[in-house]
Amino acid sequence: MERTIMHIDMNAFFASVEQQSNPALRGKPVAVSGSESRTVILTASYEARAYGVKTGMTLWEARQKCPELILVPTNNRLYTWVSSRIIDILRDYTPLVEVFSIDEAFLDITGSTGLFGSVERICSLIKSRIREDHGITCSIGIAPNKLLAKLASDMQKPDGLTVIEPGDVDRILESLPVKELCGIGRKTEQQLLMLGIRTCGELGRFDVRLLEKKFGVTGLKLHYMGRGIDDSPVVAEEEAEEVKSVGHSTTLKKDLTARDDILKVLLQLAEMVGRRARRYGVAGKTVHLTIRYTDFTTFEKQEIQPAPLSGSMEIYRAAAQILDSTPLSHPVRLLGVRISGLRPAGEQLPLFPEERTGLRLTEAMDKVNNRHGDFTVMFGSLLDQRSKGSHVISPAWKPEGIRNVGVD
Amino acid sequence: MHNPQQEIRVAVVFGPGMKLRPVWFELNRRQHVIRQVTNSWLERRGETPLLHFHVTDDGALYELVYNMKDGVWKLALVEAL
Repeated sequence: MERTIMHIDMNAFFASVEQQSNPALRGKPVAVSGSESRTVILTASYEARAYGVKTGMTLWEARQKCPELILVPTNNRLYTWVSSRIIDILRDYTPLVEVFSIDEAFLDITGSTGLFGSVERICSLIKSRIREDHGITCSIGIAPNKLLAKLASDMQKPDGLTVIEPGDVDRILESLPVKELCGIGRKTEQQLLMLGIRTCGELGRFDVRLLEKKFGVTGLKLHYMGRGIDDSPVVAEEEAEEVKSVGHSTTLKKDLTARDDILKVLLQLAEMVGRRARRYGVAGKTVHLTIRYTDFTTFEKQEIQPAPLSGSMEIYRAAAQILDSTPLSHPVRLLGVRISGLRPAGEQLPLFPEERTGLRLTEAMDKVNNRHGDFTVMFGSLLDQRSKGSHVISPAWKPEGIRNVGVD
Repeated sequence: MHNPQQEIRVAVVFGPGMKLRPVWFELNRRQHVIRQVTNSWLERRGETPLLHFHVTDDGALYELVYNMKDGVWKLALVEAL
């Protein structure tokens, strides 16, 4: 049976929400930027995009393009709330909703047309409810699979509706540049270009054995992508694979070289990781430390622990140990702490009294912070840290579960 | 200038399904009639639910915050339109 897959993409999501909130911003070039000092443009309204303002630009670059640009600081709690409400709307039309990012989702509506009439009617209902409830528009793509539905939603922006019928696939893909397909980034595009492949039509016809030789197992996937074939299912949250790791990272307000300064950030990150792990009853056997230098060189080191960890102090000590085994060659721009090899956290009481005290202390801190909010009670060395918690919405953000990371 | 910690008086209509709609609020002894609620969202600070409203009167955008645990309203933001 032919599937009907919908991809929905909220248009200039953060900027649209801000324009809805503040009538003075409507119809004007608006860009949302991060709350931290070393921030970039997170998203820009269509009015700002017309001047060439793009996501990822520095504020200076954006102002060069559009001197009258209105910069608005990010309001992550508002965006995650609106996104969650929109996901609720989508779930009224099918249980098969896969949240792809804060402003994108896939829906399998194969079984929904009988209930709601037609595909077009479902799209119209979704669009009007989002517009009425939240004052924002979205672009929708409809196709037989996720790859093509995502491609279709990109074809008409803003407020578009594009349907790719199965019979149109070959014609559309024939001259389409490969970089337009979701999953083909700049690196893959250049590797394909070296093989003389520019368009999806050329990719689909290219010798699959040569693709496999060049790209390994991905070669076969690329071959199918070139032909518009994608069997991947729409995976609803409750059916999604278990989360494999819990981590947090932060771009530092200023580059750090002193060990003590780096350790303070690691402690804060370890507390965030530990809190989230304990909230969901998991512990990690491996601790990872990510460091990005000022020249953007990034590396990750990991250490397998004797026992799975979920205590913030234990995670911190393990991360600090990795740091001490790593001679730093440049000032540090970004730090990340992650635990992987997750398993259910044990209930067993530690053998030694000081470990038991540590466990009770963690439990007491968690109780207070659960009641009054994160970082109400914290380690003394974090008291002078002005900015605590997460300030960036992770690409892996989900409206519920362990990936629902609270952001300020 | 307003003090974001200052409690304010707000008149509210409680609709079906516990839906709140602020109607007017007082600031510096002046009553501001709300023309439009442009956005609202819920934030949880620990166990305390905070309900935020972006509202406009004739001249400005305001953020009103209702602490659902304490039953207290505060004004978090004022921005000229």
